[in-house]
Amino acid sequence: MKNKIFIFLISLWTALSMVCLSDIAQAKVYIDIDAPGFQQFPIAVCDFQNNKTGTPPSDDEGVVLADHIRRLLDLSGIFNILDKKSFLDGVESQTPEVIRFSDWSVIGADFLLRGDLAFGAEGLRAASRLYDVTRGQTLFQKTYAYKTGDLRAAARAVASDVLVALTGDEGDFNTQIAFVIKKDARSDIHTLSYDAADLKNLTGHQSIVTSPRWSPDGQYLAFTSYKNGRPEVYLRSLKTGKERKVAAFRGLNLCGSFSPDSRKLLLTLSKDDNEEIYSLDIETLALQRLTRSYAIDVSPAWSPDGRKIAFVSNRSGSPQIFVMDADGNNVRRVTYEGNYNTSPSWSPRGGRIAYEGLINRKYQIFSVDEEGNNLIQLTFDDADNEYPSWSPSGRQIVFSSQRGSKSRISIMNANGLNVRVLREGREQMVMPSWSPRLK
Amino acid sequence: MKKSLTLIGLLLVFAFGLMILGGCAEKQAVVKDEPAQEQKVAPTQAPAAPVADDEAARRAKEQADREAALRAQAARDAAAKRNAAALADLNIQNIYFDFDKSSIRPDAREILKANAEIFTKNSAAKITVEGHCDERGTAEYNMALGERRAQEVKQYLVNLGVDAGRIETVSYGEERPADQGHTEEAWAQNRRAQFLLK
Repeated sequence: MKNKIFIFLISLWTALSMVCLSDIAQAKVYIDIDAPGFQQFPIAVCDFQNNKTGTPPSDDEGVVLADHIRRLLDLSGIFNILDKKSFLDGVESQTPEVIRFSDWSVIGADFLLRGDLAFGAEGLRAASRLYDVTRGQTLFQKTYAYKTGDLRAAARAVASDVLVALTGDEGDFNTQIAFVIKKDARSDIHTLSYDAADLKNLTGHQSIVTSPRWSPDGQYLAFTSYKNGRPEVYLRSLKTGKERKVAAFRGLNLCGSFSPDSRKLLLTLSKDDNEEIYSLDIETLALQRLTRSYAIDVSPAWSPDGRKIAFVSNRSGSPQIFVMDADGNNVRRVTYEGNYNTSPSWSPRGGRIAYEGLINRKYQIFSVDEEGNNLIQLTFDDADNEYPSWSPSGRQIVFSSQRGSKSRISIMNANGLNVRVLREGREQMVMPSWSPRLK
Repeated sequence: MKKSLTLIGLLLVFAFGLMILGGCAEKQAVVKDEPAQEQKVAPTQAPAAPVADDEAARRAKEQADREAALRAQAARDAAAKRNAAALADLNIQNIYFDFDKSSIRPDAREILKANAEIFTKNSAAKITVEGHCDERGTAEYNMALGERRAQEVKQYLVNLGVDAGRIETVSYGEERPADQGHTEEAWAQNRRAQFLLK
């Protein structure tokens, strides 16, 4: 139910940001992409045809738009994008009335996306149509109006609609990933859009800056900074860019994660003599202490329903993942395999917790359900793979990898398959955090 | 239920879309790239003096004040330098920890005893104990572990008679390695407590 309302709001926003000129849509959810036997959707994406009636377009904008859409669909991890070279001669320019679906099924496409571009005084109009090749049906037909040059935004809108039509969920196209780039003794939080474009340095504190955490409403980014020589927690408004210090107690002040309603921020503080987890009301700055243990308690992560909190504690001798109720009661241990399990991240669909664990002298990403059952190892290569963070759709996980002095930010499907590298370099990149769906 | 809700949603969306037909709303940039401005204290400017004589006298006085301030600053700098050099000559040694441990190792006890003696002799100086970790594991856990290491060292020094009020702790987690390497040797050098006297 919540999801439906969310999708509705997203659709409403989509309507606000562009004008829908004509629509035929069947919002039909007919393939369960989370089923174990799920095969990627084979889809053919044609270059958008330029319509010559408006202002003469530069020749390749239809190709650029189609390329953006292909890259986005590929990043979602659930599509097999057919190579343009496999298309039969002349099929791309067939008019919608005379599409021969057999020309597409013969090359293995189950779905076909086609479109036309027109350029008018008000900008760009992209008409796109998605077909079910095997049934010979139109799944949606929609026209988007955009300012000329905003092809990436147009591509995100089309790709989101394709995903809604096939899965009922718009996916993660309108998201960003915040992460930390370390240079020498300094570090700063950067953001990267989902398609790995637009790298931005957000903090510029000339200090140590760590642990970026988005508020679920997309209003704030919280983080830890040593700007004043010691670790303190800041809240940055993403709208105004203003930063506010919210925790600067004696000792450690470490940023944890936001509550689902974005009103509270979990913290690790050592002001009461050892590292404990607290909940901070970001309006009133009222603090509530949640853990009482002589051990290290750190890295709290709220469950999507707000009822539970996962965290790391070494109260049993080594760092392990624990879960407690949101008021700090009923603490139970979740991980038992291995002697170093940290960085818990709760799936937005609930149920599963991703974390990093030490195995064969390497850190790898795992996921486990909140009762501690059904443990799955997700990464296996010879790098250290750390800091998992779920996408808003719950279908993907971003993480960072270090192999020697080489560093990567990658995403994978929630089952560990289909790893795609977003950014690679010699500068050290760590602690990726996936944003909510942004407007 | 699911289907009808979605349909209603879509219908509403389309109705809305038609309503605003022709008015293409602007796309919103989510992350405004305005860096948060630090408050900067502007250099105070003396108001212009109305009378020329006063102006000359004021300038002379200002010049004299400035020179005096510079001399005082130079003297302070020199003193601080002498003090820093003296403290650096004290040979305060780091101590090292085992992986994922904050307990004081037997080999560290002698070093802490020697350091405590130095701290007691230089009773005017403030002591900062920095806790550090190697790069393995999670940055947040390592910040907590670094704090633990610094606290353990502080407690050990207090037990040896150093005034607790003089000792501050700070954890740098894995963020300030002494050795930039990615080997066992580098890691052993980086799991440390470091001392700063001021």
